[in-house]
Amino acid sequence: MNAKFFIYFSEIFGKTVRDNHNRRSGRLCDIGMKINGEIYPKAAQMVLKRGFFRKEFALVNWEESVKEVGDFIKLKIDHRQIAYQRQQPKCDLSLCRDILDQQIVDIDNHKVVRVNDLHLLRVESHLYLAHVDVGTRGLVRRLEWTGFVDRIVRFFSPNSAFLTQEDFISWKNAQVLNLGRVKNVLRLDVTQQKLSQIPPIELAEILGDLDKLETAHLFKSLDIALQRKVFTDLPTTKQAELIDQLEDKEAVNLLENIPADEAVDLLLKLSNRKTRRLMRLMETKTSKKFSKLLGFSKDSAGGLMTTEYLTLPQGALVSDALQKIKENTDSPGNIYNIYIIDEQNHLLGVAPLRNFIDADALLPLILFLDPNKIFVRTDDKIEHVALLLEKYKFSVIPVVNKEDVLQGVITIDDVMAELISLAWSKYKEKL
Amino acid sequence: MKKFIENFKQHAFVRNVVIFFAVMGPGMITANVDNDAGGIATYSLAGAHFGYSLLWSLIPITLALVIIQEMCARMAVVTGKGLSDLIRENFGVKITFYLMLVLFVVNLSNVMAEFAGVAASLEIFSVSKFISVPLAGLFVWFLVVKGTYKSVEKVFLVACLFYVAYIISGSLAHPDWKHVLKQTVTPQFQFDIHYIIMLVGIIGTTIAPWMQFYLQSSIVDKGTSMEEYKLVRLDVISGCIVAPLVAFFIVVACAATLFQSGVRIETAADAAVALRPLAGNYASGLFAFGLFTASLFAASVLPLSTAYFICEGMGWEEGIDKRLSEAPQFFGLYTAMIVIGAGVVLFPNFPLLKIMYFSQVGNGILLPFVLIFMLALINNKEIMGEFTNKPAFNIIAWFTVTVVIALTLLMVVLLFLFPG
Repeated sequence: MNAKFFIYFSEIFGKTVRDNHNRRSGRLCDIGMKINGEIYPKAAQMVLKRGFFRKEFALVNWEESVKEVGDFIKLKIDHRQIAYQRQQPKCDLSLCRDILDQQIVDIDNHKVVRVNDLHLLRVESHLYLAHVDVGTRGLVRRLEWTGFVDRIVRFFSPNSAFLTQEDFISWKNAQVLNLGRVKNVLRLDVTQQKLSQIPPIELAEILGDLDKLETAHLFKSLDIALQRKVFTDLPTTKQAELIDQLEDKEAVNLLENIPADEAVDLLLKLSNRKTRRLMRLMETKTSKKFSKLLGFSKDSAGGLMTTEYLTLPQGALVSDALQKIKENTDSPGNIYNIYIIDEQNHLLGVAPLRNFIDADALLPLILFLDPNKIFVRTDDKIEHVALLLEKYKFSVIPVVNKEDVLQGVITIDDVMAELISLAWSKYKEKL
Repeated sequence: MKKFIENFKQHAFVRNVVIFFAVMGPGMITANVDNDAGGIATYSLAGAHFGYSLLWSLIPITLALVIIQEMCARMAVVTGKGLSDLIRENFGVKITFYLMLVLFVVNLSNVMAEFAGVAASLEIFSVSKFISVPLAGLFVWFLVVKGTYKSVEKVFLVACLFYVAYIISGSLAHPDWKHVLKQTVTPQFQFDIHYIIMLVGIIGTTIAPWMQFYLQSSIVDKGTSMEEYKLVRLDVISGCIVAPLVAFFIVVACAATLFQSGVRIETAADAAVALRPLAGNYASGLFAFGLFTASLFAASVLPLSTAYFICEGMGWEEGIDKRLSEAPQFFGLYTAMIVIGAGVVLFPNFPLLKIMYFSQVGNGILLPFVLIFMLALINNKEIMGEFTNKPAFNIIAWFTVTVVIALTLLMVVLLFLFPG
């Protein structure tokens, strides 16, 4: 009957709904979608509204009741079967409340956009959510100015791209952010599957565009491994904001599983009370490590170092070293150097993987030490650390205290991050 | 030395002052932008033409201002969203669009007022407005586009110490303090069209609609957590008290000098006379300097914040770190506000002082509508959770809405009954 397969939500919003005897039963004021893991959600419920001064609402099951969606919406049922109520009923995934006018993540283009209109696919009496419209045409259509604006544009430039160009995002590439309202409805695996297509660093950038509640909701929907990756890519202020939004337990879990130096930088940003509270919840080992790191100034070697590194005793063999590396492939720290220490944790030397990877597994590891015993002390300045790293072309350097006891290691990326921010602030001052 | 600092830290007053300056943030900045060209003009006219008879209004206005700004701050911290974001998400695109359109027009008239302030102040130094206004427009545009705004903000804030001049000048004019205080605490009303317009203007300039949007997004940008909310509130409330306090002294200074001698303010140079008890013959120079910095400060803030919250509400890309092709609407709006705002002022015989005043009346008329949206949002449990308004807040806010609407209607009726 109608060749038009697609229909805009703004076109059917407010349409008259008639029952099987063609009597007016109200106007359409919202549609609730069914979420069942299919790519395109299907209309499951319709919210009707009638009356002007004394408004009444009704929730109608779509599949059982709707006969036809055309110039008006035709029902299969008698309107006496519809139960009206004074309060507006809530549906699961409501087009009006949860999608229209809200922000969504455009997974294809990795950015956050606002929804202007919805593009629905019509198959017989069924409606499916196919695209969200984020373009200017959608905006004009919602304002009901399409005819007027088109006439003006056509007058000035008949071939303008504006007249035909729609800006759609396919629903399968859109991620609803307002999970706060529909929290228990969206299937988490669908969300994760959608989001896992985005590289963590891009996800971190998307999170940067969102407000803090949405950040927290989106973040919580990621699986633990992805959470850690994304978290380390966030700027520290955003991290602090996020930690504030998370439950203390979740926050601790996260802090324990990211590189210690980053965790400490973050703890420094939080209020003292919050830091103390989180530290209390941590394992004693971790909290001890953190409180040690917290004692160092930020631009000293102690402040830069992390405590994730691999050590072996003097007598270890090459096979022990390889085994140790294999066990720690999941560790966030550097695994390409093994530090040899004695019983009192004095640093004896560094065995780089490159030196022993091809060696006989039964040889003692101590034969493959780096000839230069290079290290820095906890109170050395960042400039000194940077010079040594550059001079010896290292990517990691060990940190010892005054008694030569190994305290941690500094990786080149942490030095770079600090230097970049230093250079940047100097550059800004100049401006 | 260490001991000295220790002693210093223990001194309660010193500590409080240090804490105060440490938290001085969005609230204080908003308050200072609030006393812009329009503000100075309106308060000067109020004092010069009505003496102390409008002073009483500052007390209820301060109360309303505190309540309203606290609501903004609370919404910012709880939701992490700007006001126009919230309006769009909860009232739909149509309402948002028309509200933004009205806000654009009213804010544009405010920007005009700022450039009129620049023109009027520099005319006192006999600089032609055809030189001062285009230069000021270019300055403002580059300031923001080149991203140096943040560093200049502090300079502006220091320049706001100029308001101290009004406090001193007001005192030196030896007003009858007993009389002044009595007038401040006794509400009175005149069924005079000029009086009512002035009242709407004072409300509009002190509780300007754009301030609510500006304050809310600045707090969101700062990323404050609920734990630090007390500090934010302290900052906002102190701002809300400082701004009307400055207004109070401007009115007193003008009433004690201009109203006493029966001078009617026609140009900015007339308004400068209020500073004569302090600065003598340099009064006009001091006034011009103050008006100039206040205008320039507000002219840097207003177009930018307007472009921000319109783009935010309409879902367009925003931010000065974007390229022109990425955020055409944002840069378009921003530039248009400056070009139109500065351009209109260049018309020959443009009534500089009048536009400064009437833009504030426009603020007053728009205010209740913005407030109604804010009240609907902040009382929505779905958005605010446990942080919705307490009944007392609602009563005061709704009272403000009713009073301003009533005054506006009265103003319109009187204008129809007695045109001219």
